[in-house]
Amino acid sequence: MDVVRDVLDQAVVDRDGRAMGRVDGLLLKVSPRCPPTLTAILIGPSVLGDRIHPLLGRLVRAAEQLFGLVGRPTQIGFGHVIGIDREITVDMSISDTSVDAVERGLRTVVSRIPGAE
Amino acid sequence: VKKLANLMLGVTTSIGSFLEVGSISTAATAGAEFGFALLWAIALAGIILAILTEMSGRLSAVSRRTFVAAVRERFGIHFLLVPILAEAVIDLLLLTAEIGGAAVAIRLLIGLGFQWWILPVSALVWLVLWSSTFSLIENGLGLLGCVTLCFVVSAWLLHPDVATVAHGFVPTLPNRDLTRYAFFAVSIVGATVSPYLLNFYGSGMIEEESGESDLATNRIVAGVGMGFGSVTAMAVLVTSAVVLGPQRILVNSYEQAALMLVPTFGRYGVLLFALSLGIGCFGAAVELALNGAYVAGQSLGWTWGVNRKRREAARFTVVFSGVILASTALAMTGVDPLKLTLISVALTVVIMPLVVLPFLVLMNDPAYVKAHTNSPVGNGILAALTIVGAVLAVIVIPLEILGS
Repeated sequence: MDVVRDVLDQAVVDRDGRAMGRVDGLLLKVSPRCPPTLTAILIGPSVLGDRIHPLLGRLVRAAEQLFGLVGRPTQIGFGHVIGIDREITVDMSISDTSVDAVERGLRTVVSRIPGAE
Repeated sequence: VKKLANLMLGVTTSIGSFLEVGSISTAATAGAEFGFALLWAIALAGIILAILTEMSGRLSAVSRRTFVAAVRERFGIHFLLVPILAEAVIDLLLLTAEIGGAAVAIRLLIGLGFQWWILPVSALVWLVLWSSTFSLIENGLGLLGCVTLCFVVSAWLLHPDVATVAHGFVPTLPNRDLTRYAFFAVSIVGATVSPYLLNFYGSGMIEEESGESDLATNRIVAGVGMGFGSVTAMAVLVTSAVVLGPQRILVNSYEQAALMLVPTFGRYGVLLFALSLGIGCFGAAVELALNGAYVAGQSLGWTWGVNRKRREAARFTVVFSGVILASTALAMTGVDPLKLTLISVALTVVIMPLVVLPFLVLMNDPAYVKAHTNSPVGNGILAALTIVGAVLAVIVIPLEILGS
């Protein structure tokens, strides 16, 4: 498996097939005398921002702090990954993570407009 | 029934490409200034667009991914950033121009300054996106778009000289205003082949849940849809050349362009012109705003689609609302929609290689399209046309701006 080709930037779905986002970053453990190991996948605009430019990452983090979003970026241990095919499938439920905090926040706003259901 | 629905996707996409503010104004101006001489550019644009939409539909049907999603997965975020930022800027300009174009159409019908109609047009675009499913959008726009066939009727009834019209399909250099001629050739292609259409069409295939079994239909849809659009755009050019050309009416405003249907339809001429312009612009505006949300949702891996309940795709909903809001604000500043259009369509040609070249890589990768890869000849022709077009655009745009 080539983690940059097969994991990074791929879509992530939860155990019920709900979209969780894309793999925005990877967490590697580097120890002396051992090859680096992939410990977790990261999902969140701040990690994506870091990859584009560190300043953008900082900006996103500041915005997330401003809106009181905690536990971001979402870190999913690689042990939770149960399938790497067309998408990365994890054995969690999206509602147990902070990955869709923005979606949930906006949902309360959108729901107030007639016809949102 | 599903095939008919698919056909509507083709017709709707072609309205957004051939019958919106950019295409109608470039075709009308080109006809008035150069007669039939630029018909070949519309034909060329139609062929390029049909090839590209077929590819986009094939990518979606086989890989269940759109262009944007596939580029992020195959090339990573850094590579995706370049085409989507370029596209975002041009799409915002185009959406502003389309909202302005639809507002101008209402002014032609009712009166009052077009600025007064910007807010109602934007509100209607949002309302349609808020309350419709994808099939309602494509069928509605597709059916309404049939009004634009009045140009074809007009071009037919004006009895243009067949030999001269046929001559227009052979690219020839004019003996005057070479820069302006080249600028219009580039603009016609740019007004037609907008990169957003590819992602819109591909997303539509996914909204319609098309699969590998729909590949044959997809070919027909791309061909028939773009055929419909190019024939209508050619009819605009022919009508303009016959009616406006000899009277030396240059198209500096939509009031002048609206006169082209008067000889054929009399007092209904301006009405039909305004309806065609309005529907074309409105359709393109709906497609552009929707595509903004498609691009955001697909590149970041959200739940997306107009077939979902709005609250289930809240970020998607917020993005299309925000895109409409931003363009409305830009339109309210009082920019001239006709000028804005001519600039944004020419710029489109410059960014085409950024979209087409990665697209070609995807279309030759069995990981995405399995056995349905492109033919080498198709790849070569498309790559060459795109690069030649971009080089020509880089040369011609500054010359035209300096000249005027």
